Amino acid sequence: MKTRDQEYRELFMAEALEYYDSMSRHLSELERNPNAGPALNELFRLMHNLKANARAMGFTDLGEVAHHLETLFGLIRDQERTFSGPLIRVVFAGVDALGNMIRAVGANQPLPDASALLDNLDRLVRGEAPVLDEVDEGDTEEESNRKMELSDLVYIQVKKLDNLLNLVGELVIDRDRIMTLAQEIGNPALLATAQHLFRISDDLQYSVMDARLVGVGVLLNKFPRVVRDVATAENKEVELTLSGQDVQIDRNILQIITDALLHLVRNAVSHGLETTEQRQAAGKSAIGHLTLSALTERDDVLIQVQDDGRGINTEAVRRKAVERGLITAAAAGSLNEQDVWALLFEPGFSMADKVTDISGRGVGLDVVKLALDSLGGQLRVESELGIGTTFTLVLPTSIAVKGALLIEVDERPYALPLMHTDTVLSLEPSQISVVGGVLVTHVQGLAVPLVPLRLLLHDEGDDVLPLASKSELDGPQQVLVVNYNNRRLGLVVDRFIRQQNIVIKPLSKPLDTIDLFGGVTLLGSGQVCLVLDVPALTRLFLAKRP
Amino acid sequence: MNKRILIVDDSFYMRTMLKNMLTDAGYEVVGEAANGAQALEMATSTSPDLITLDVILPDNTGLDVLKSLRQIQPSAKVVMCSAVGQEVIVTEAIENGALAYIVKPFSEEKVLEIVGAALQNDAAEPAV
Amino acid sequence: MADIELSVPAAKPERVKPAELVQLIVFRLGDEDYGIRIEQVKEVTVTPEVARMPKTPPFIKGIANLRGDIIAIIDLEERFLLRPAGRAVPERSYTVAVEAADYILGLMVREVPRPFTLPQSQIEAAPDFVQDSSTRDKYLEGIAKLPDGGIIIVLDMRKLLTPSEVMRLPGKSASS
Repeated sequence: MKTRDQEYRELFMAEALEYYDSMSRHLSELERNPNAGPALNELFRLMHNLKANARAMGFTDLGEVAHHLETLFGLIRDQERTFSGPLIRVVFAGVDALGNMIRAVGANQPLPDASALLDNLDRLVRGEAPVLDEVDEGDTEEESNRKMELSDLVYIQVKKLDNLLNLVGELVIDRDRIMTLAQEIGNPALLATAQHLFRISDDLQYSVMDARLVGVGVLLNKFPRVVRDVATAENKEVELTLSGQDVQIDRNILQIITDALLHLVRNAVSHGLETTEQRQAAGKSAIGHLTLSALTERDDVLIQVQDDGRGINTEAVRRKAVERGLITAAAAGSLNEQDVWALLFEPGFSMADKVTDISGRGVGLDVVKLALDSLGGQLRVESELGIGTTFTLVLPTSIAVKGALLIEVDERPYALPLMHTDTVLSLEPSQISVVGGVLVTHVQGLAVPLVPLRLLLHDEGDDVLPLASKSELDGPQQVLVVNYNNRRLGLVVDRFIRQQNIVIKPLSKPLDTIDLFGGVTLLGSGQVCLVLDVPALTRLFLAKRP
Repeated sequence: MNKRILIVDDSFYMRTMLKNMLTDAGYEVVGEAANGAQALEMATSTSPDLITLDVILPDNTGLDVLKSLRQIQPSAKVVMCSAVGQEVIVTEAIENGALAYIVKPFSEEKVLEIVGAALQNDAAEPAV
Repeated sequence: MADIELSVPAAKPERVKPAELVQLIVFRLGDEDYGIRIEQVKEVTVTPEVARMPKTPPFIKGIANLRGDIIAIIDLEERFLLRPAGRAVPERSYTVAVEAADYILGLMVREVPRPFTLPQSQIEAAPDFVQDSSTRDKYLEGIAKLPDGGIIIVLDMRKLLTPSEVMRLPGKSASS
């Protein structure tokens, strides 16, 4: 959990400890050379910064000690005091006190009392002699107990974490190979070592993934301002509720969906929510409600944008899609509600009749789909006319490892990310019918088209797929139902191999232009396995269906 | 277009806080400089509308930086930022063309008020 | 890799200054010997298992795992139209891995590639073939004439290694 206050607190602690270390260093320098100008300037600056930061955090006593020391160092710098005699002892005591106070802040403990020290610093500033406690002379033991403090926080470039993650990905692939080889060779000592390697690299992988996680709040907390601005521009009253800021997600995933979320939120305020008058006329509360929430579902993170606005007017979307030439009138008529809503995320579709400054000019919700596709994420839409709309982004927690289903076609393995797989079926030919040249089966009462994956993989040219016929079906058919944009497609495969976590490597040039493949993964055997891209397969099927 | 602001402060904590306040308010923070040299470099490369300038910096005093900034970026408005205790420098800064003075620790309202006023203010009317 | 070191053929003592030597990796394509400068070669290895990749031209034999790098394996004989396209990957073959700026490409050859050193002066710049007519000539650096009468066609991999050139079907323009 990392709220902004927590973030500030961590920054404060990290910097305060750093200042404290520098102060100690400069004091030693000053002890050797009481006229060291740079050390004096630095001490003055560090005290000044610590004071300002401590006050901003509300640690008044800490700020007060730093303030007194700043004043004193100012006087020494301006040669009104010298760094000598009892002043040295008070200054050291002062810096020690700062160290103790900073540690107390870090440990969430009350700050130690510093009134005696402050009195002495006051005296020094006024030019009087400090009152030194003789009992405190037994400094030696304290000296040996003094702790060296390094900041508990390290700032690191995301690039370095990316590199680490890639290396771990490679390691995991090799580990799986070693594991397979060890099993083949059957040497017990080798096997035990391989198993140990397996556990360690597993832990390592999760540690690296963990290091990249940030709270979704980092992004969500930016939205109150956005909502306020859009609402003002649209003359609407909107109450925004945030929840789930503590849900953890990979930093790069959050980065990739930033624009998508911005679009969804702007869209919700501009088009989802009604004006005050419209709401009142509809018997709703005058203020529109918008909720941005993050939650976890199994291994996924869901980010929801929910409004209590007018809901999606399915018929208007249908009309608009035909107007915009995205779809023929005939095809539009046959689409169900979910399919129509999916059109909202097609490039070139924008429901805005009125172009506002905020919602952008025709920049549509297709950025949402693009971002999700690049992550292997999913979009869910729920809407009820007059009640409101909820868009749900389904995101992987981490980009490194994905659950996948391995299948086989023509004696070659292929991987399909679980994110896009609905169910696997073994269908008797009697459960399959042919409709318009396409194989169709029914899953939970809904018609799902089937296509042999082999056909999609080896399809060449611009011709449509050959008409399907039931005579080709011989015995039970292994079908993997994939889901993209609420569109289901059954892929007929030779067999299912197993479910497995895979590390996806991007395809390198010159093969990176073939969009049917999201990348490759290496199986434990060292075998190269292509990862299929479900959005691309779905698009190909839609373009090529007879 | 959003006003573009350069933050000059040697404390990462202070920069982060200022940056959050300013970006939340819709300003674009075009750079964060931690010392005078960086400040001059970034001011040249980003041509900000406004610069928040800490009074005490590791390599120069904020005052030196202010004088150089006024030379190389005369159109940039400068708001001084400092904890109490350095009022003398601040007065001098204002004489040298700084538009306003934000006292640390600052509240979000105060920062936005002073920055907003400084950006509005074309005449060099110091607001403290 | 360079375990077969052939001696430099004795150059005729016409010139006094020492000849600038060029090291090639030489392999057979069709009935001809082809060479690539050794600087452009990353390694020569027995071809690892090649996974066929749908949606690629037939001269791309597939992808293979070369020490953790997934590389495309291409058959230059088919790419250069020296042999009919779409042949199966032979039981045993060799791969010359060549390095481009940001990726590695595997050239599959059927016979063991061998290193060969010759003076630069033996490589004659490629004659002005019609540049877009064919397939191979575009990627030539020159032709080495050997004292024994043999010929090595020296390829300039930098010209072949742009992704659009690699993927290009012989005889078609890069945009198709």
